[in-house]
Amino acid sequence: MFLVKIGEIFIAFLVSIGNVAVFFVKTMLAGIIPPYYYKQIARQAVQIGYFSLPIVGLTALFTGMAMTLQCYTGFSEFTAETAIPSVVMIAITRELGPVLTALMVTGRLGASMTAEIGTMKVTEQIDALKTLAVNSYKYLVFPRLLASVTLLPLLVFINDIVGILGGYLVGVYYLDFNSANYVHNTFSAMTSWDILSGMLKGSVFGFIICLMGCYSGYLSKEGAEGVGRATINSVVSSSILILLLDCILTFILF
Amino acid sequence: MEFVIEVEDLRVILGGAVILNGISLRIAKGESYVIIGESGTGKSVLVKCILGLIKPTSGTIKINGRDLNDLTQKEMLVTLLRCGVLFQGGALFDSMNVIDNVTFGLVYGYGKPVKEAYKVAVEKLESVGLSPKIAKVFPAELSGGMRKRVALARAIATNPDIIFFDEPTSGLDPITSAVISELIVQCTKGMGISALSITHDMKSLRHISDVIGLLHQGKKIWEGTKEEIDSTDNPYVRQFVAGATVGPFTHATHAKTR
Ligand SMILES: Nc1ncnc2c1ncn2[C@@H]1O[C@H](COP(=O)(O)OP(=O)(O)OP(=O)(O)O)[C@@H](O)[C@H]1O
Ligand SMILES: [Mg+2]
Repeated sequence: MFLVKIGEIFIAFLVSIGNVAVFFVKTMLAGIIPPYYYKQIARQAVQIGYFSLPIVGLTALFTGMAMTLQCYTGFSEFTAETAIPSVVMIAITRELGPVLTALMVTGRLGASMTAEIGTMKVTEQIDALKTLAVNSYKYLVFPRLLASVTLLPLLVFINDIVGILGGYLVGVYYLDFNSANYVHNTFSAMTSWDILSGMLKGSVFGFIICLMGCYSGYLSKEGAEGVGRATINSVVSSSILILLLDCILTFILF
Repeated sequence: MEFVIEVEDLRVILGGAVILNGISLRIAKGESYVIIGESGTGKSVLVKCILGLIKPTSGTIKINGRDLNDLTQKEMLVTLLRCGVLFQGGALFDSMNVIDNVTFGLVYGYGKPVKEAYKVAVEKLESVGLSPKIAKVFPAELSGGMRKRVALARAIATNPDIIFFDEPTSGLDPITSAVISELIVQCTKGMGISALSITHDMKSLRHISDVIGLLHQGKKIWEGTKEEIDSTDNPYVRQFVAGATVGPFTHATHAKTR
């Protein structure tokens, strides 16, 4: 009985992966052929890139500060304080930056994409798009996908800068590190791969957030409750996939 | 005779329930066909099938003599461009203001320059009795009847060959209803436009219809002209048109449709 249940869940999982893949292929096929909806793309770029800056910045600042404090508690026992700047830098650029940015963006944008598209689905607006001869994948999904995949890395980069700055502020003004030494220790340990690998993760996460967000919206059932449930699905599945993929990517990339 | 829409033995099963159970109907060029029937008998589903929005379980649908199943994606788009659709709930894009809604098909579907499209849109708004002053207002800020009229303006903005109106006069005051009914008549008469409408409004029905089909429990149980609707002996039609509580339609039969 138990094995049958597991088997059923596994098969359902494979089926949904298949459906998401079909959804993606449809979007790409519709999206790459002209005409391009530049206005839509620009609008999504502003939504995703610009309006996410405050929460991404705040998250980065606080985690950078907290990281430095935590490291200090641990490292000072071994008088290894000089390693703090580089450890904070690596933790932020490779790990916390992309993951936290992605999770914040999931909460902010993944949820709103699902709610918006879900509402359009249940109020027949997607049907209306079709009867006005506009492909909804091209008009709704592709611009979001393009903006997410290209702009999430930039958000991660900004997160890196603000996070390291947060660490610096705590290190220099609270823990009394020498400012020049802190900066030197941070940058001497930094490689471009630290930054790039984090940004690469960001791009993958952006893809996941948008794909799951839009896909869940299309699946949403009638009524406010249906849209609410779709939004929960979208946020939960994106978050889990982000953490899972983060683990896998970290194994592959390092 | 040249038929614009031909539906043959259409069956639709949604979520395990039989919604349409063998419907056939034909609409000639320039004809105004009106579907009536109780709430929940599948009138809106029928229209959505014809537009390719719901896939039927079996049966064939032809638009301009071409089977929908044989159309490529591109041909389907071209076909839809020639159709104007008013959804029952309006289905206005709520992220766009009124004028962007009305011009949407012209700009995105036909690729018309925005300026030109605006001119057409203002004209269409006026024809449904709306002032161009509301152009920049968002649908959420409009009254229900105004929303319906904006949706109507959007449906006719592209000067379609076939119009599909799902309850065009519901939620409108009697005078506006009459104006909209007259508009539908003008669209079909003399311009060769075919129309498939759904209505519960018996006054509008008599005004706009050439042929009427009565749906009941997923089947077409009667078809006739608007003259015949008042002379027929069919007990269903008589009860429906009179809105009587006694007759073959009962709440029991109604419940069985679900
Ligand atoms: N997408 C769908 N999935 C499952 N069932 C559906 C779907 N759309 C409609 N139905 C069901 O089909 C039946 C017919 O619905 P439809 O909207 O066509 O009714 P209608 O004749 O237009 O009624 P009304 O006059 O109230 O608009 C209803 O019982 C409805 O619950
Ligand atoms: Mg209906």
